[in-house]
Amino acid sequence: MSDAVAQRLAMQRAAPPRWRALASHAALSAASLVMLYPLLWMLASSFKPENEIFGSISLWPSHFDTGAYLRGWTGLKINFGHFFWNSLIISLLCVVGNVVSCSLTAFAFARLRFRGKNFWFALMLGTLMLPYHVTLIPQYILFLNLDWVDTILPLVVPKYLATDAFFIFLMVQFFRGIPRELDEAAMMDGCSPWRIYRKIILPLSLPVLATAAIFTFIFTWDDFFAPLVYLNDMGSYTVQLGLRAFVDSSGKSDWGALFAMSVLALVPILFFFLFFQRLLIEGVATTGLKR
Amino acid sequence: MDSIGAVAERRPLLRHRLSQAARSDRRAYLFLLPWFAGFFGLTAGPTLASLYLSFTNFDLVQSPRWIGAANYIRIATSDVNFGAAMKVTFLYVALAVPLKLAFALAVAMALNKGIKGLPLYRAIFYLPSLLGASVAIAVLWRTLFSGDGLVNKVLALVGIHGPSWISDPDYAIYTLVLLSIWQFGSPMIIFLAGLRQIPRDVYEAASLEGASRWRQFRRITLPLLTPVVFFNAIVQTIDAFKAFTPAFIISEGTGGPVRATLFYTLYLYLEAFAYFRMGYAAALAWILVIIIALFTAFSFLTARYWVHYDE
Amino acid sequence: MASIVLDAISKRFAELAVIQDVALSVASGEFVVFVGPSGCGKSILLRMIAGLEEISGGALLIDGQRMNEVPAAERGIAMVFQSYALYPHMSVYKNLAFGLETARLPRAEIDARVRKAAGILQIEMLLERKPKALSGGQRQRVAIGRAIVREPRIFLFDEPLSNLDAELRVQMRVEIAKLHRDIGSTMIYVTHDQVEAMTMADKIVVLRAGRIEQVGAPLDLYNRPANRFVAGFIGSPKMNFIAVAAREAPGGTAISLADSTLSLPLAPAGAPLGDGVELGVRPEHIAIGGDCGVPFAPARILHVEHLGGATLVYAALSDGQALTIALEGQRDLAPGSVVETRIDPALCHLFASCGEAFQPLG
Repeated sequence: MSDAVAQRLAMQRAAPPRWRALASHAALSAASLVMLYPLLWMLASSFKPENEIFGSISLWPSHFDTGAYLRGWTGLKINFGHFFWNSLIISLLCVVGNVVSCSLTAFAFARLRFRGKNFWFALMLGTLMLPYHVTLIPQYILFLNLDWVDTILPLVVPKYLATDAFFIFLMVQFFRGIPRELDEAAMMDGCSPWRIYRKIILPLSLPVLATAAIFTFIFTWDDFFAPLVYLNDMGSYTVQLGLRAFVDSSGKSDWGALFAMSVLALVPILFFFLFFQRLLIEGVATTGLKR
Repeated sequence: MDSIGAVAERRPLLRHRLSQAARSDRRAYLFLLPWFAGFFGLTAGPTLASLYLSFTNFDLVQSPRWIGAANYIRIATSDVNFGAAMKVTFLYVALAVPLKLAFALAVAMALNKGIKGLPLYRAIFYLPSLLGASVAIAVLWRTLFSGDGLVNKVLALVGIHGPSWISDPDYAIYTLVLLSIWQFGSPMIIFLAGLRQIPRDVYEAASLEGASRWRQFRRITLPLLTPVVFFNAIVQTIDAFKAFTPAFIISEGTGGPVRATLFYTLYLYLEAFAYFRMGYAAALAWILVIIIALFTAFSFLTARYWVHYDE
Repeated sequence: MASIVLDAISKRFAELAVIQDVALSVASGEFVVFVGPSGCGKSILLRMIAGLEEISGGALLIDGQRMNEVPAAERGIAMVFQSYALYPHMSVYKNLAFGLETARLPRAEIDARVRKAAGILQIEMLLERKPKALSGGQRQRVAIGRAIVREPRIFLFDEPLSNLDAELRVQMRVEIAKLHRDIGSTMIYVTHDQVEAMTMADKIVVLRAGRIEQVGAPLDLYNRPANRFVAGFIGSPKMNFIAVAAREAPGGTAISLADSTLSLPLAPAGAPLGDGVELGVRPEHIAIGGDCGVPFAPARILHVEHLGGATLVYAALSDGQALTIALEGQRDLAPGSVVETRIDPALCHLFASCGEAFQPLG
């Protein structure tokens, strides 16, 4: 390649023609607007006076009215604060359960020698492919017989038993990237496998543990199906069930309140989106998480 | 060491060795204790139990009654709801997955041109994926596409009088397809990561040889990206088969109007938890497993004809 | 301080034997170097002593006690890893203290030991840093420090200098040798670099394909290699091997090659003379001109490298066999010219076709 050609190529690469860049930005901005419009509209509507919600497509309320939030918060016979509390407890317990149980399992598969390891590992991977609908009904019968229906136990306990094979797999991959010589040095330093797990592997795996924790929180917070199946008493409802109950009762008459509660239901996820975006996006890019 | 000593030495050696291996086994199994409990108690056991239940009649009150393949036979021959659910679900999968992936790839390619502000665009496009499974979003969608919803307001601006999308059996499913496409962000991120893997010099070589942009896309980008396309297609398809929340919220848990949004999983849920036909629902679950397994097997079998792997 | 005995140690991975019946004894306080080409099993042998690999057969004795089943940490051994294996999330201080904390030593004792080791290695000012903030040489010191604080009976080094640049390597070599003199522990050091082996070892163990080829003091191996492999491995530039015809003669063995015949005071160890005998002569034991030794053979100069303090000559005998000659000082030799070479029969080696060295007579 002659120098002149190389130079021209380099220039082309560095800066696409100006009009093309402008056109790209115009198209992408328009697409962004279309993508975000529904969300912004919902946010705006939660602050609009009731008659304005369906009256205009504007993203700016004529005056800010926080009444919808107050009406929504107390719109059901149990207030939304209760649902938020339930959701928060369940989500946090699930986070702890998933991180602890999946990391223990992943450590054994990634680092310990034992007979039958390949066999069990293959079975673990196999459960990745199994749709939860298959185990749903027997699990329901099991929890019914344990008298766990209408408690948070069916939602939380499985997380302590490393049932999310995906996170196990994610952690196994990460642990395998930690040099094995560190384990060996720790062995020479007198560490038991437990101490290696606690003092070497876990502290070095904070990124993957954080990814697992955040996604577990979001998945649990968002989960609609399992609470729908297991929680029938309004006192034990999660936010998602509360929203659904709201739709069924007053939702059709008070859109503002419904939107206000919907916005609040999204707040924790938006929080993670704003502050842990890099972890989320890397999590998706490197592991193919489908969210 | 003399030979007698050597022989005497050998016996404890064997015992020690075994106990050493047993010791490391025991330690590993302690770490795996939670997983074993979950695997046997919540996965393997229930899987077998559901296979059994699928051959029974079970309403949670009376004990399961063996009825052979009757559930499967009824599903295959006389269940109109099953037919409707299959139709809706396959229509949904067939529309939502390819459109979503096409969108994701197109936007990923647009973003991969070294454009300024990439992190911002990427974040904006990713946000709906992150939020999409929420009940709040399903609620929003319901209002957007209702008779006097935002969508019809916008259409009215250009003089189109839109139907009541949600309550019209002809259109309801398409609002759900649209909701799925709106969440193209996560496959887009995976495509972006895949595009980054394609070395620049391949394109430089191609443009030196005078290949047009379209030809570069057809001959370089697409073939090198097929593993990512394959991965995304499988993940998204399996996920689409399992879609539940939006259909439930939009139809208020009925799958209506007129079964137009009766997704397979919604039908399964109704059979199990509205009508308490547990055996029948178990059979439906196994049919879903078989459908997903067949799809996956088919994908992997055909993969070698179109997925390009190095080596 | 401790003695080590390897009694017919072997290691198999499934059916593959990677270490076969290795027998060796290391005296207390000795500095032993395992050397050999990559894949010879030297690292695995070291890891078996450390307790990181199970021993498939034979016995490992430390101070006369069987260690096969004793966990790594209880063998009284410390190890310095090739990659240093410093804990990246801990400060240097924590790295040094970690093993002592694991052993639940009193805090004051830990502190005293860490500071003492840091003093020996002159890393006191680095104690609060994380490994990431250290240079290669500093990491190396911390890795050694982590071994020292445990006050082990035995130190093991697994190619500890291979990640350093040439200059640092020489410096650390000197320091490790000094460390050995100062604390006097038994040390086993693995390397593929024969220069490290020659300069540091009390005793070198040459390994090939899971077997010991020869054990001995560095100069023993240089002067009296037991076989062709050791002869070629020890010494730089490499020994010349020249195919010759050999027959028994009074006072040793007579050999003939292209243009000349020589008589050497060597005799085959056991086997009778056969085909494929090779003459081994080190490049530094060949002279061009002068009058020491005896005339050897004419050689045509192909290429000359001037190193300043020495001159390397690459030449060919009249039958085409290659000959490398290392001369002291600066010599003016023209490529293409033919020169007379001379050798000292006492510094020559002969190897039978099986590789075994001939023995000196008398």
